[in-house]
Amino acid sequence: MDRELISLKQTALRHTAAGTRPAGWLIGGALAAATWVAALLAGGDTARHSILTLALLFWGVGAAIGPVLMSGAGTLRPGWFALLPIPRQTLGRGLLVSVYVSIAAAIVLVALLAVGLHAVLLDPVTLVVAISGAVLTWVLVIALSRLVYGLLGAAMGSRVGIEIAGIQFGLMFAGMFAGWIPVTIAIERTPDLLATGITDAAVTRGLDMSPTSWSVLAVERAARGDWAGALVLLGALTLCAGAVVAATIPLLVPSTRPHVQRHRGRRRSAGLVAGGGLLPRTQTGAVITKEVRQWSRDGWRLLEVQSGVWTGVLIGALALTSADLRGIAAFSGLIVAFMLGLSACTMYGQDGSAVWLDVVGQDETSVRADVRGRQWGAVLAFLPKVLVVTAVFVVLSRAWWAVPILLAATPALFGAASGAAVVVAAVGVSPGVDPRQRVGPNDAVGNITIHVWIVMMLISVAVVPTAGMVVALATAPSAWLAALTVAVGFANGFGAAWLLGRIAIGYLTNRLPDLFSRIRYGQVFRETRAASALDWFESTTLRGEQVAKERKQKERAERVAKTAAR
Amino acid sequence: MTSEPSISYDPPPGAAVPALELVGLRREFADKVAVDSIDLRVPPGSFFGLVGPNGAGKTTTLSMAVGLLRPSAGRALVHGVDVWADPIAAKRLLGVLPDGLALPERLTGGELLTYWGRFRRMHVRTVADRTAELLRILELEEAEQLGTLVGEYSTGMRKKIGLATALLHPPRLLVLDEPYEAVDPVSARVLTAILRRFTSSGGSVIISSHVMSLVEQLCSRVAIIARGQVLAEGSLDEVRGGRTLEDRFVELVGSTDLAEEDLTWIGS
Repeated sequence: MDRELISLKQTALRHTAAGTRPAGWLIGGALAAATWVAALLAGGDTARHSILTLALLFWGVGAAIGPVLMSGAGTLRPGWFALLPIPRQTLGRGLLVSVYVSIAAAIVLVALLAVGLHAVLLDPVTLVVAISGAVLTWVLVIALSRLVYGLLGAAMGSRVGIEIAGIQFGLMFAGMFAGWIPVTIAIERTPDLLATGITDAAVTRGLDMSPTSWSVLAVERAARGDWAGALVLLGALTLCAGAVVAATIPLLVPSTRPHVQRHRGRRRSAGLVAGGGLLPRTQTGAVITKEVRQWSRDGWRLLEVQSGVWTGVLIGALALTSADLRGIAAFSGLIVAFMLGLSACTMYGQDGSAVWLDVVGQDETSVRADVRGRQWGAVLAFLPKVLVVTAVFVVLSRAWWAVPILLAATPALFGAASGAAVVVAAVGVSPGVDPRQRVGPNDAVGNITIHVWIVMMLISVAVVPTAGMVVALATAPSAWLAALTVAVGFANGFGAAWLLGRIAIGYLTNRLPDLFSRIRYGQVFRETRAASALDWFESTTLRGEQVAKERKQKERAERVAKTAAR
Repeated sequence: MTSEPSISYDPPPGAAVPALELVGLRREFADKVAVDSIDLRVPPGSFFGLVGPNGAGKTTTLSMAVGLLRPSAGRALVHGVDVWADPIAAKRLLGVLPDGLALPERLTGGELLTYWGRFRRMHVRTVADRTAELLRILELEEAEQLGTLVGEYSTGMRKKIGLATALLHPPRLLVLDEPYEAVDPVSARVLTAILRRFTSSGGSVIISSHVMSLVEQLCSRVAIIARGQVLAEGSLDEVRGGRTLEDRFVELVGSTDLAEEDLTWIGS
């Protein structure tokens, strides 16, 4: 059974474009090599101990998070096998074993085997302990990665699962935006680390407690002649790996329990649907109500919001760790507001049915109501979270001086982000995954690299007036200039949201059917005119999708040719 | 669920073992009873139709009957084998086309059938021959030659490849949830021919459907369910009682009549 499942996984992977996987292997391979080189360059046994325990902990955490970020067709879903006469334990074990047969898992094993170098340098006889320890650690961390992924897959319908996925995406974005902070600290400290290792006894003790360090400790005990101690550590590692494997297998079998969604507490009434409550009973009010509900009820939209929140929180936390950058933490809320632009730039493509309703129900004011309603909906979804994150990090960083800047920059960023998102979502609509087909946290959107870049560029340009005022305030601080900066921030935010929203309205008023046909058919049935920036963006994103489609067709032709040749 | 130690079911002396027997099958979702302790017998060799309005509990009943959804109480027996006490033995006897079938999207139809044959421990040659035959008869051959992946299939094609996975081993009982939905008339005719051949060779079929005329045309036995309960069960003639199945269905289930003053705004 294991062999068949591995073969099925390999076949599915052969039918999938490699995408970012080769880049992932390259980075992983470089990191594995760096682990070996660092162990080799260590100034002594103590330093090597520190380097290895630290590196192995990173590998453990990386392996746990990696599959969430890089999952794809290689993931075999338990539900596929629900009707086959395969014992649940056999299926669970097979699905787990299939995870170990991959290039990524092999790279992790190579990195973990760096402990062998430690063994050879201490006492070559202990190599057997090192190899056993590395393999056990490998079993543990790969099973852990599947456990985390399984929990997420099983829990995308639950708030906790979405939160865990949000933390992981937050870590990825924080790494992209502010990864230089830990890298700078690491570069500053690497020579010392290589020479002397970690000198803080408490940190060393903490690191030694992690199961990823136990192979290192076992090698050292064996080298001291304490073979019984080494065996105890390997035994503990075996127990740990066994426990994670035992916890993982039940998550990898098809669920036969009902998925009951709790609807209690959800208010329903015709009045609310028509834009009741605090919102105006207008077309725009109705769109805002619908959008606010979408942002909180659609698990994948909620994930977008929470990923933004955790990106801000984690960057704030990173900044707090550095004495020089402590003040930057106060701006964590701004990062969350900025993330609104990235989170919402696929809002039309994810929501084909709503676009269909827009097309069939279009009247003189409906497009305007739709665009403005979506902008307000996104702002209302993010606003409470931005305020909380901002308040917490201002207090933690004690950067009271940042308050006027925040008062100006928050509305400016909100306006710019909601405007940029709606323009990009409309003009460069990227068809998302059908909501019924969504299972894992990666399932909602297609390739939106160019969209992300354009949103970032638009936001940056749109907040220039506020940025200018902030620079002026920093150069010559005064109460009246602070008040003026805040006023400019608000005006800038409203102005940017209005202007960019206006562009989206103008575009959609004439081209709403094109938006729908891009979602439904992946093309626009109209002569494209590359005259304006909007046309350029529309045709560029469309061409991107068509190139991807052509590549897919070419791959398919190659696949058929290969099959015929066999 | 009441767990039973025995995995086989002894029918009363002289009675044929039903192809499918549901005994007090019940499923609650939170405080809603979706299937209310229903009893049902599908005789071997019969073509059985399960009809009911939307939300009647048809899909929930069939899901519990084939091992996809654990019942709150009761038993489901396939040719005397308890689906929940011995799911492996029951799944060997079953061929199922569920509602909203989850399949590996990145395989072609042929690859899917080949792997499913391997998972069922079938002989390689047999799998290859049946795969080719099923793809040809279900008109999926061209898609296979073009290398079309299951994820790129239309709704009707997905139904057909799902049916092929259900027929491959082959089963003794076919359980098909809305098999004709989204299938074109030509394919529907082929499907009917396949199912008729299956029952004439001793196999049993249970289908769920909303289309009364289809059930009348195909099925020898019928059950009408609504609000999680069986309202009528028996041979087609017994259930119809001299009327059309649709009239009988509406009589049992009830209907929403359009009063003079309703929807007067339509067309205004």
